[in-house]
Amino acid sequence: MNTEKEKRIGVFICHCGKNIAGGLNIKVLVESSKQIQGVAYVVDNKFSCSEDGQVDIKKTIQDQKLDRVVVAACDPSLHLMTFQRCGENAGIEPQFVDLIDIRKWTMHGSPHKVAPEQALEKSKKLIELAVKRMRLKRLIPLVEVKVEQSVLVIGGGVAGLEAGLDLADKGYKVHIVERLPTIGGKMALLYKVFPTNDCAPCILAPKTAYANIHPNITLLTNSEVNNVGGYIGNFNVEVIQRPRYIDTTKCTGCGECVEKCPVKVKDDVFSAGMGQRKAVYIPYDQAIPKKAVIDAQNCLYFRKGVCRLCEKQCPTDAIDFEQQAKTIAMKVGAIIVATGFDEYDPTEKSEYGYGRYNNVITQFQLARLLDIDGPTKGQLLRPTDGKEPKRIVMIQCVGSRDKNTNDYCSNICCMYALKHAQIIKEMVLPEAEIYICFIDMRTVGKGFEKYYRRTREIGINFIRGRPSEIIEESDTKNLLIRVEDPDIGHLLEIKADLVVLSCATIPSSGTGQLSQVLGIALDEDGFFKEMHPKLRPVETNVRGIYICGAAQGPKDIPDSIVQARAAASFADGELRKAKIKLPEFIVKASKLNKGV
Amino acid sequence: MKEVYVEEFMSPGCVGCPAVKEMLEELSSEFGDKLTVEEVDITVDTTRAAQYGVMSVPAIAINGILKFVDVPRKEKLREAILEELER
Repeated sequence: MNTEKEKRIGVFICHCGKNIAGGLNIKVLVESSKQIQGVAYVVDNKFSCSEDGQVDIKKTIQDQKLDRVVVAACDPSLHLMTFQRCGENAGIEPQFVDLIDIRKWTMHGSPHKVAPEQALEKSKKLIELAVKRMRLKRLIPLVEVKVEQSVLVIGGGVAGLEAGLDLADKGYKVHIVERLPTIGGKMALLYKVFPTNDCAPCILAPKTAYANIHPNITLLTNSEVNNVGGYIGNFNVEVIQRPRYIDTTKCTGCGECVEKCPVKVKDDVFSAGMGQRKAVYIPYDQAIPKKAVIDAQNCLYFRKGVCRLCEKQCPTDAIDFEQQAKTIAMKVGAIIVATGFDEYDPTEKSEYGYGRYNNVITQFQLARLLDIDGPTKGQLLRPTDGKEPKRIVMIQCVGSRDKNTNDYCSNICCMYALKHAQIIKEMVLPEAEIYICFIDMRTVGKGFEKYYRRTREIGINFIRGRPSEIIEESDTKNLLIRVEDPDIGHLLEIKADLVVLSCATIPSSGTGQLSQVLGIALDEDGFFKEMHPKLRPVETNVRGIYICGAAQGPKDIPDSIVQARAAASFADGELRKAKIKLPEFIVKASKLNKGV
Repeated sequence: MKEVYVEEFMSPGCVGCPAVKEMLEELSSEFGDKLTVEEVDITVDTTRAAQYGVMSVPAIAINGILKFVDVPRKEKLREAILEELER
């Protein structure tokens, strides 16, 4: 064993009960670790994280006069701080205590589990690297920095608003950046929400309205985060605000410009393609800010240099065709990412004919049709002939739980299918026959199972089976759905007037680009990755940047609210320190000579 | 023997990372046993990235000190390694 004078490194190998010891030969690992340059002492223990284990580590550090420590155990995102505190109590700088994960190769159920021989070899190699890293690591001086008492919230949906309001009420300055011309996100467009069947905009409005008038909140709609630099406490943010071509200080939201505008286009965003809007428009009645916006791509003046009817009509002279994009710079102490989700485009599931058959729509489109303030004022009519559908089939897990598209369960689709079935049966078309084709009904949540039972009781039909194909009758545009029902062992054929696809929840467009701008990681499904899926669900790989809502993964509104509050709590925990100590190189990082 | 330990922070899909990897492979041949390079995927090892405050990749730490963010010139990288070896 090498006993280098300057650096005496201790290696502590944890059994983690049988989780590690059951999957590799600990004795061999101890012996091989003793041969590594710089290692002064090696010991194994049953549970390094236990009270006994930590007492042993502390005592060993002092007895053996160790000045650097490598613990070979589990995921550092969970326990690194445990061992760093333990080292600190024994007199070692926290940065000279490292934790490496060898358990991932040995633990039953781990996706990385390998055979014992491989686990041993991989562990040997990892310990060797960690020891070398610790041996050569220099002490990093810490510097004290001031923490800006302000926060950037990216995304003005229910999660972003909840987090922003929480922090604004605590006294921090909050900037909410929203890509669309209004805050409110997807929730504002859901018509009703499960399991209470409350009106979605009605229960959202207290938050949007409060955010609009809160003295500590700045709303930046029609805006996107373009660049972020700096570090916790001192993030430098650049936001690009696209022009509305409307002077919002003058616009009263009267809608006269909208009325006069001669250009009608399909509204893909606020009507999910089921209705139209004008080239100058107000997204919806409860939009905040309730200000018009001109869609330059479709406006006759921008396209052909003619028209300007809106300008002539506006009673407050608010139209401004000369408006340019603005770059807004700000400095914030923390960032909360709440960019939400998009609905999966089922066009690639060609067996269901979405995009080819006009009477195949998605649940989000159905929500817009059912909305009494939506494009059809709550009338549910078939897109092809405007008639009321008599038989409706809903298909679950479209683009979810599907190896060819998205592997994961989208969490909310079972419940919103039940919600829409209830609304149609009880409020819109009581005579309609409704079928829900499902794989499993997943109704996990407070009051959800009762909601499911109630949906069955009011006469909704459930078929366990994923339809294999949909065929359209060319003359009537009716749809024939073929589905195998394993419960009765038959191939069923159902004729329907309307098919509704319960599509997957996917990361919102631009998530990949934003992850690059912020330097935060994505998970394998493309959502923002949390530090630990169970125990650190709102922290990211960048200190001071937190995630919440569907941006982190599919979830319903109550879970988004809880997570938003958690993200706000973490941000508050850092901001309230006012000053923090950071490694010098983090502070210098933004000024590093890139050498390019 | 003086040694240098380089942590190369990268992520899948990072545009500049292959260039840094290639540079470090060339420098590894040049410096031999004196240089150890560890590739750290920030999407897998999130804790390490957080400790260093890495916000964008590629990034390079040398003997525990974050030295480069973005793709450095190879000569600058060599100088930084030599500087550590001569400390």
